[in-house]
Order: sequence, then C-alpha cells, then structure tokens
Amino acid sequence: MASTRGLDRGRVNADAVEAAFAEDLAAFVRLQQKSGLDVFSDGLLRWQDIFRPLVDALGAAKPESLVRWFDTNTFFREPELSGALAGVNHADGLLPDASVPRPRVATLPSPFMFSRAARTDRDRNQLMVDLAGKVLRPVVDAAVAAGCQLVHLEDPWIGYFGIESKDWAPLREALELLHRDLRATLAFHVYFGDAGPHVDQLRRLPVDAIGVDLVETDVNELGSGWDKGLVAGVIDGRSSMLESLENTVEVARHLADTVRPRNLYLSSNCELAFLPTVVAEQKVQRLGEAAKRVKQLVSV
Amino acid sequence: MSVDLDHKPLLTHEIGSLDKPGWRVKAYAGQPLSDRDLEEARAWGERLKVPDYERLIDLLRHAPFSKEQKSDLQRWSSLYALKLEEGAGLDVVYDGEQQRTEMYDWAVSHSDGFERRGSVRAFDNKYYTKAAVVAPISLRTPFHNAEFSYLVSVADAELKIPVTGAYTIADWSFDERYDVDTDLREPAADRRRKRKAARRDFVLEIARNLIRPNLMALIGLGARWIQVDEPGASTEPDELDLFVDSFNASVEGLNAMFSTHLCFSDYNLFFPAIERMSQCRQFAVGFANYDSRELGTTDQARPGYHVIRKFADLPYKPALGLGVLDIHSDFIESPELVRDRVLYAVNVFGDPARIHVTPDCGLRTRSWEVAFKKLRNMTAGVALARQELGLKDPAR
Repeated sequence: MASTRGLDRGRVNADAVEAAFAEDLAAFVRLQQKSGLDVFSDGLLRWQDIFRPLVDALGAAKPESLVRWFDTNTFFREPELSGALAGVNHADGLLPDASVPRPRVATLPSPFMFSRAARTDRDRNQLMVDLAGKVLRPVVDAAVAAGCQLVHLEDPWIGYFGIESKDWAPLREALELLHRDLRATLAFHVYFGDAGPHVDQLRRLPVDAIGVDLVETDVNELGSGWDKGLVAGVIDGRSSMLESLENTVEVARHLADTVRPRNLYLSSNCELAFLPTVVAEQKVQRLGEAAKRVKQLVSV
Repeated sequence: MSVDLDHKPLLTHEIGSLDKPGWRVKAYAGQPLSDRDLEEARAWGERLKVPDYERLIDLLRHAPFSKEQKSDLQRWSSLYALKLEEGAGLDVVYDGEQQRTEMYDWAVSHSDGFERRGSVRAFDNKYYTKAAVVAPISLRTPFHNAEFSYLVSVADAELKIPVTGAYTIADWSFDERYDVDTDLREPAADRRRKRKAARRDFVLEIARNLIRPNLMALIGLGARWIQVDEPGASTEPDELDLFVDSFNASVEGLNAMFSTHLCFSDYNLFFPAIERMSQCRQFAVGFANYDSRELGTTDQARPGYHVIRKFADLPYKPALGLGVLDIHSDFIESPELVRDRVLYAVNVFGDPARIHVTPDCGLRTRSWEVAFKKLRNMTAGVALARQELGLKDPAR
C-alpha cells in the first residue's frame, strides 16, 4: 500500500513498487501453503478492481467514473464498453504470477456482472455473450494453459441486485461459451446476497460448481442431491471477527450431509480485499484449519 | 451562521480535504526534506501570499523536529491550505483537514471504544485505515477544537467545519461488539434481523456519545456552520432511515447551521428518507463525476444533474451544495462548464439562493496545482453564472 501510494505521489520509484509486490505475493503464497489450501491464488494483488486489467487488455477507453462496489466502501472504475467489442489482445497482468504454486485458481468477473457493471449503449445480454466469447474465454484458456485448474467467476450482481427471469437463458448461453471443452473446473460464485431464491436456476447453469455466500444465504435453502460442486462461502470476508472453528466445521459437515454436492469447496463468502491484511491472513488460516478438520472427519 | 451567508446566492465552498504538502508529510514523519520540498513551501507561500511564510522555510531547515515544532508545521500546513482556498476566491473555507490523519481515522482515534485493525483499499491506490468497535463508545476529547480555534485566528473568510458523521463511522468500522454471535446454521432471516438491530445500536451510540458532544464543543467555541460528512450514507439502501435518525440524534436542538455531504451514490436512494432531515440546511452533493463535459444547460447536456429536482422539492427547502468539480480526475473544468452546471441547477430550483457551488468531494486526491486550478475555475464559473443571471457579485 505504502509503495503504490508513494508511486502516485512521485515519492517512490517503480522498482520499489515491483519489489513490494513480489514480497507481498511471496508472503501470501507462504500463507496459503502453511494453511494447507488446495488451490493457490495470487490474490489479485495488482488488480485495482476486478475489471481493470480486462479493460486494459481490451484496449477500451480508460475508465473514469468511480462507482461504489455494491454496499462496500470500495469503488471501481466503470468499464466503458459502448460500441463493438474487440477481443482481448494480450493477457498481460491477467494471469497468476509464475511464482504461484500449482494448481492455481483464476478469478474473473462473471459475464453477467461484467455486462451489468459496464457503461454501454448495447443490449446488456448481447454484451454478456460477447464478453464471454471474446474477452473471458481467451483469458480463461490462457489461464488454464498457465496451470489454473479452477476458474472462479465472481457474481455479486445476482446476489445483491437479483436477475430478471428472462436473463437466465442468455446467462446460460454465455457460460456455455466458457465451459465448452474447458479443461478446468468452472465455478460461478454468487455473493453479497441471498442465493436461496436462485438455487434452482443456478443449479441449471453449465458450470461445474456453484458458489454461495452463506453469511447471506440460509443453508437450508440449498436443497439436496446436487449434481454440481458447491463453493461454500463460510468465512465472512467483510467481518473482522474470526469464525469459530467448530462452527465452521459443523456447517461444512451439514452441507456435505444434506446438500451432498459432487465436490465441496470451502471458501470465503466474498473476496478478502475488504479486510486488513493481518485479519485476512487469520481468516485464510482458519479456512485451512476448517478444511483440514472436515477432511479428517470425512475420511473417518 | 449569519443570515447573509446562508442566503447568499451561489455561495462557494470546498468540501473538506486537500492533499498534504510533501514538506508537511515528510517533516511530520521524520523523513529528510529535499530542496524540492523547500522550494514547494517557498513557491506556494509566495503565490498564496501566506503571511511570514519565510519563517516556515527557516523552520524546515532545522530538522529534526520536536513535538512542538511538528505541531507548528501542522498549523503552517493548515494556514497554507486556508490561503489556497481563500486565494481561489471561495466564500467559505477551512484548512483541507491538514491537521487530521484522515476523516475516519482521526475521529476513531480520539474516541474510546475502537481499536485499529489495519488498512484496506478504497479505490485505485487509495486506502483507509479501519478500526473495530470493541467497547462502549465515548468522546475521549473534543477532536476538532484545536484546529478550529487556530483557524478562527487566521481566516479572513467564513469557516465551515467538516465533521465525519455517525453513520459513516459505523459503516467504515468493523463490529466486534454489537453483532458477534454469528452461527451460519441459524436461519439467515434471523441472522439478518439481529444484524440490523445491532447496527442501529451501533450507529446511534456513535451519534449520541461521540458526534453530538463533539459538535457541542465546537459550538461552544463559536462554530456557526458544521458540515456532517456522510459519504457512506447510502451504502446500505435499506438503512437510509437509520442514517437520517443518526443525523437528527447528532444535531437535534443544537444552535448552528448544519449541513451534510453525500457523494458517489445513487442519490435517488435518499428519497423519501431525507424528508425527515429538516435541521439539515444544505446538502453538499457530488454530481460532476456522473456528468458530461460538454457545455449546455439542457437536460440532455447535464445527465449528471437530473436528480437535483428531488432535492429542490424537499419540503423544508434546504440549499443544495452543487458538486461541479470531478475530484477523481485531473481534468480542469472550464469556467464555462461550471457556469452551465450552475445555470442548469438554478433553473431547476428557481432560486439562486438555494444553490451553493462546491467540488464533488474533498480534493485530497489531486495535487495542489490541480486543486487550485479547479477551484479558481469554479469561482470564475460562478462569476459567469452571476453575470448571466444578473446577480450582483457581492464583496465577501
């Protein structure tokens, strides 16, 4: 933080910022390894918001307007996506650094959220399909080639604002473009809201796993007998209170027993960028502890 | 607040923060000062006609600084910022919050009941420090008295004191006191109900036990206009009544002009909740960020300002602090663009006395050079609007 802030003010040079990024990434990787996580992230440490590197890769106009990121005190630059959409012309800054161990996770905005958060003069569902085919798919392919076995699509839009019934079909079409022949697990993660009302539709999406925010969603509304994986957001990325290990393990067991997903992934309910680093680190450790305990219980 | 100022058509003011000069930041942090820092202090001192600025230059040459000297440097920084705003021609000024760490951190670090947890990103490479409420909240010591007393002694223009509001402090804090027993196995609806009740307790405790006594202390020192800053007010659309309740609990029965500052939100959300905020005599609201940069006074030319009709229709007829400068961009709004934004608003309100003219928010993300140019063009644009409206350009 100090380095990037200093860079903006002309008080720190670019080399010092690069060194700080490398140091922070190395620390984050060590934390994930120490915590026993199964899939490794680069934490999107260089991403100023979830759209920025994609907008850069698109060669789209530099985004100007700041827009509140849902009900947080964080803001993103509204992507300007009017007119015909060009494809991405490079993947610079979009893939995890080579120092991140494999298997890796690639985190990207869902095409639905991307199309809704952008400023555009186009039909948003058509934009969504274009974003999936021309922007996200090339990046996903590059990510898989770079060792990402999990592609995690973030969609707080559906959780927070909802989705009109007519939009599910175009969303399925967009996700099909991402899922077809993909040699990685594709997860679609709804957060910042109650996924309960959408569970039936979510389970019909052409993805391998559905993520839900369990801080906002009732575990009893998830149904049972899933033929997909479940990314269970059991760690609250917006609260500094550390979750009880026992409680978290019990929730995970309950999900395994009742929802019976094809695979159960334990995760935070949303990104951890809303937490100071020291708090986020504690949460990652708690996630690892919970996963380890659940694995022990399941293997018994 | 004087009656004259309250009703001055197209009154101009800044919102709050300005960037802190390099010499102030480095000197306070004990870092070595470069010739460039000294030249910055000299050049701005000369340009803004800061009285006796040579004394600051002399002081800056004598590092390391004692605690008293650091306080002195903060006051110099306040004086420079005040003179920048006066030099830009603003009617109502303050000191760009030069003596505060930051609008949130300053408040919680002078309060009992909070513990710092660390920094998080706000946007781009901008961060803020978050604290958690862990114990009963109270005012440790009035935390704007010293700066206000100093500014009264050096300001030529009227003063307006920005004070961070209760809702925003709660919204930007973690809660480790009111809502702590989360069990994800409980029905989500029950958890949400508990969270909402806890949030109400949290916000209103800040309003009653922290903000209100701080406002009373300022009024005791002669403060006449206090701006309650609530950039977080619309963060939770289902809590706008709580925001209004917290404002009312903070100011009810106190004798000063109170205004509030809102920014970077869907302002439609504030209605009808703010119809109950009758002690709020002015809403300072950022619009330029959402507006076109083309000239014109039609609805089509001013897409960022359509919502002002709702403020115009508020039953208690508050003024609108019209944000006309995008504080997230180095783009310098021309006087003509400012003029057209102002004329559009005057046309909607039908009364220039209800329009005040401001930047969208504090200018601390801009360099002083950019901030000064923007503010000068803002006052120049207001002069053009006055001309267009046939208003006298009264002496301050």
